[in-house]
Amino acid sequence: MTRNTTTMLAVLALTAGLSAQKKADSGLSGTWNMGLEAGHVIPVALVLKQDSDALTGTISMPTQRAGQTVDVPLKGTVSNGAFTLSGTVEGAKDPTTIEIKGKLNDEGILEGRVAMSGTSGPHGDMAYTAERLKERK
Amino acid sequence: MNALSRRSVLKGFGATVALPFLEAMVPARRSSGAPADRKKIRLVCIEMVHGSAGSSAIGVKKNLWAPAAVGRDFDLSPTSLRSLQPFRDHLTIVSNTDVDPANPFTAREIGGDHVRSSAVFLTQAHPKQTQGGDVLAGVSLDQLYAQRFGQATPIPSMQLCIENVDQAGGCGYGYSCVYTDAISWAAPNRPLPMIRDPRVVFDTLFSVVKVGTTQAERAERLSEDRSILDWLLASVTHLQKSLGAADRARLADYLDQVREIERRIQVVEARNRSGEVRDLPASPIGVPDSFSEHVKLMFDLQALAFASDLTRVFAFKLGRDASNRTYPDSGFNGSFHETSHHGGREDKILNFAKLNAFHVGLLPHFLDTLKNTIDSDSTMLENTVLIYGSPMGDSNLHNHKRVPFFIAGHAGGALKGGRHLKAPNGMPLANAMLSVLHSLGLEELEQFGDSEAAFDLNAG
Repeated sequence: MTRNTTTMLAVLALTAGLSAQKKADSGLSGTWNMGLEAGHVIPVALVLKQDSDALTGTISMPTQRAGQTVDVPLKGTVSNGAFTLSGTVEGAKDPTTIEIKGKLNDEGILEGRVAMSGTSGPHGDMAYTAERLKERK
Repeated sequence: MNALSRRSVLKGFGATVALPFLEAMVPARRSSGAPADRKKIRLVCIEMVHGSAGSSAIGVKKNLWAPAAVGRDFDLSPTSLRSLQPFRDHLTIVSNTDVDPANPFTAREIGGDHVRSSAVFLTQAHPKQTQGGDVLAGVSLDQLYAQRFGQATPIPSMQLCIENVDQAGGCGYGYSCVYTDAISWAAPNRPLPMIRDPRVVFDTLFSVVKVGTTQAERAERLSEDRSILDWLLASVTHLQKSLGAADRARLADYLDQVREIERRIQVVEARNRSGEVRDLPASPIGVPDSFSEHVKLMFDLQALAFASDLTRVFAFKLGRDASNRTYPDSGFNGSFHETSHHGGREDKILNFAKLNAFHVGLLPHFLDTLKNTIDSDSTMLENTVLIYGSPMGDSNLHNHKRVPFFIAGHAGGALKGGRHLKAPNGMPLANAMLSVLHSLGLEELEQFGDSEAAFDLNAG
């Protein structure tokens, strides 16, 4: 193997490594079809943006009026493959805080729990799974 | 002697009744064994919402919808289709297909599955998310057929429903209620309204309003509980003189059926006018409170329309998404919406399967009628394509995988029937629907909805 080839392979490996690192760092970014286990499965939209270990996004929570949702901004972190996110429902009479914990499993599905609480105490705690929304042409 | 025209009608003051198929309509030069022109295939497209219990993981294992065996030797007994056993030779069950266009394509569409799905069932197209007048889906399967062959009949197609599907405005998640309420689409931007009241269907089929009667005269007729046949007496007597004995008997049977259906509608109207407390107080006076009674009336009207060749195409919507209706006749009294959201629990899934079986169990009445109706040199069932299915799979997950779907009828010989065909994982239901369209005579169609290729409905 020539010296030039060795250098080139090293550069390629470094580029590939950087690329993989970048991919891992933005791995949760995208739109997720989240199923909240609330007796039956309620589909909600979870949109995430990962930048290294910082995670931001929105969750579209159903309101008490059927067919209506409210977008709740979320902020959180990613650490050792697990993430936490939290946000507050703006404009609500009793300010409700949403906390989402989870991880990406080997099948590419997010799984974890969503907890909600207000000034009067916890409102509920649900398991969820979320599949990445299929990209369309 | 000239043959009687297929378009001949019995006419009287206030009503027009088309005739059933009679021997006198066969041209003398064509012997009874000679091949007819292109067969007149009847099409019925039935949608039931919320998928099936058999689409859930437990339901698949327990064969609550699709039979275990593929091919011809399938066992319907554990399935929700068991009532169709007497018609198994006419059945083509296509399992394991998906309806991807009913899925959300964007973040804003997530959660709108109940609102969007019905528009997808017969179009296999993804509806545009809008609450305005700019609705957009695709041309539905029934309309593709009606637009090609429907002009041969007085009414190209009819759209019937059981639940209240005339809600205006938005139905949530940014979707117009039209997407929830309409399964027939004449054009991608033209959903067709559906008729819920059997009286309206009857009067449309027999032109009760069209032949010069005023609303007042019609009201008088209704109040007298008289039959439209009273107005046709002279016309019937005249026609009978020119018919042979067999045709006279067939005509008499047919008119008895017309009268019987009219009488049942009158009974419903009288009951609903009586002041008794109704289960469905907001429903039109002609709508029976009983689901079974309503569905059977609608099926009998469809059979009558086919027999008289008034139309060859029906779309029939049995339910409405998120309806909390109960079906006491099913042997289970839980509400439909809640029962369909079974939480993955086996006991609840089995309850939902009872409702699925109950809905399917209303079909044999219709299939039996079609089987006993002579149509040219065959039976009406032979010359029919009935499709039954749902755009949803596991309603607990609101997904659109492994959706329930089957076909009944032989499409005039284009479908062999007696088969359970299991599609490869991920195959669009549209593939099977494309093949249905081919069997209906639209052989040149290369694509329907998100179809990838035709699916051989006669395989095996």
